Amino acid sequence: MRSVPSSSLVGPFADRLLALDLPGLHPARRREAIDFTTRRVDSLPSLMRFGVMSIAAIFRALLVLPRSDTLVKFLARTALPLLGEYVRLLRSLGYAYIWETWPDTRPDGSQPDDAEPGGTQPGGRAA
Amino acid sequence: MNPQLLAPAVSYSTQVLVIGSGAGGATTACLLAEAGFDVLIAEEGPWVEQDTVVPFSLEQMDRQYRAGGVTVALGLPSIAYTEGRCAGGGTEVNSGLYFRPPIDVIERWRRDYRIDGLDLDELALIADQVEAAINVTTVPGSPTPASEVLRRGAAALGWKHSEIPRWMTYPPGGDAVTGRRQSMTRTYLPRAAAAGARMVTDCRVDRLVREGTASIRAQVSYASGLRGEIRCQFAFVCGGAIQTPALLQRSGLRRHIGRSLAVHPTVKLAARFRDEVNIPDDVPVHQVKEFAPNLSFGGSASHPGLVALALSDHWSEFASAIEDWRKISVYYAAITSEGRGNVIAVPGLRDPIVTYRLTPRDRALLRSGMARLALLLLEAGATDVYPSFRGAPLIRHRDQLSTLNQQFAVSKASLMTVHLCSTVPLGEDRSRCGADSFGRVHDAGGIIVNDASLLPDAPGVNPQATVMAFAIRNVRHFIDTNGPSGG
Repeated sequence: MRSVPSSSLVGPFADRLLALDLPGLHPARRREAIDFTTRRVDSLPSLMRFGVMSIAAIFRALLVLPRSDTLVKFLARTALPLLGEYVRLLRSLGYAYIWETWPDTRPDGSQPDDAEPGGTQPGGRAA
Repeated sequence: MNPQLLAPAVSYSTQVLVIGSGAGGATTACLLAEAGFDVLIAEEGPWVEQDTVVPFSLEQMDRQYRAGGVTVALGLPSIAYTEGRCAGGGTEVNSGLYFRPPIDVIERWRRDYRIDGLDLDELALIADQVEAAINVTTVPGSPTPASEVLRRGAAALGWKHSEIPRWMTYPPGGDAVTGRRQSMTRTYLPRAAAAGARMVTDCRVDRLVREGTASIRAQVSYASGLRGEIRCQFAFVCGGAIQTPALLQRSGLRRHIGRSLAVHPTVKLAARFRDEVNIPDDVPVHQVKEFAPNLSFGGSASHPGLVALALSDHWSEFASAIEDWRKISVYYAAITSEGRGNVIAVPGLRDPIVTYRLTPRDRALLRSGMARLALLLLEAGATDVYPSFRGAPLIRHRDQLSTLNQQFAVSKASLMTVHLCSTVPLGEDRSRCGADSFGRVHDAGGIIVNDASLLPDAPGVNPQATVMAFAIRNVRHFIDTNGPSGG
């Protein structure tokens, strides 16, 4: 699966997960966090990436089912064996990026009233 | 002076090839070059100047860690680990805390693994020399607030604690956060360069092929995609406890190679205080050793992203704390593990499979470590303690620690480790040692291991000083045996 870019398999569920967890996060920031997450998945050691991408393919398929929003909520909040580790990985990478890049992000993902969305400086430091 | 960095090339030749440039590789290359050997260092990662990257940041993980710092030893539960992948290896990215080689542990290794010629006085002398070379010192003035927390909590409980010295230099009048890490790119690698060692970065050694009794061909691939080879008479493999056994296995050497990975598993928590304690670009220098060597407590890097990470296992309950990240710092409890793991190079896969299995005793220690660490931080004045495991309770009072103990399960926790050892243990006990008493791989003339892989066990403290002491001892023996002309 080295040739399959993770953005196509990991990206859609990561997007739904972050939107659910952090409803106040500006879409531009969410996209940036997802880009970071998929880059990290692409650089995983080979077997680990294979495992992650295999689970990602399952999650990607689930997203096209009817009532997928309910399913995403269930998957996000239930620590299922193995599948739960995938959710944990995406959440860890996403949160680490968001709060390292914009440290004053509120718990719901929104930014303080006086801050502008987006706009990272080189090195991932907050603008 | 920095080493002369060579351009990627189809073919190089050298007398001694040193693979890896961390604590083992840099010291090996330095001493060999100073003894007159022709030395070429092959480093898989890039050369990154310290001042160009923020310590403990995600950017640093991108540039200087393998796989961006996302590497896992598979198991129930899995244990996240990190490996430096840059010139200087782990010494560029670790906490810089220095522990002198633990003599009682080494004495046990000598006896149990039948390590010949292991002179404890010699190791102590080497440690003195290393401490001078990398400027081991305590922080000037007061420690950081996050470090002071550990001292205060331990003092309140009457637990043993101490400030751990670091390999740092501080400017005149500087304080705890003005130190410059005396990593390998600032110490042994420049010395190696001054003595004539060459270095090629972004160069991965894929396989070692022995040709006759006095020649080795290293098949290499560069980050650019170019493939080539390096011919040498001797190869010192110093890629760390994961990459070293993987390379040896890819080279057809498997006997007692990669079967006995040892680590210090850790559990984490975040603690909130009334005042600001978080210094994002530094780590606490105090450690609590009341229960050492089985159990030790210390502080972790606490960038706001890492605080969010520590809270993320129970985000629905802990999320509001993130707004106070300046008042929060992350701490860990580390154990000496009786468990063991494997490093397995699989044909067709670029990266090895790494596994680790905790014992029931390890699990009990981690549980006890989490509860005792929470107690320590409450005694230090924490208003809220956020353990890092799924469904963890928020702890505000000592009487909630029994709840923590009941709810904690290793399988729910985010375990991690940074100390990886023991995948090619040294000694004359051929029933379990992958290398002889000086790191020479059994039945593989000219291939020598000289890094953390050699340590027979995880020593219970940061192993860098022990790795350096063994590496210097072994390379001195090599020089005495082979002479600079290749004897």
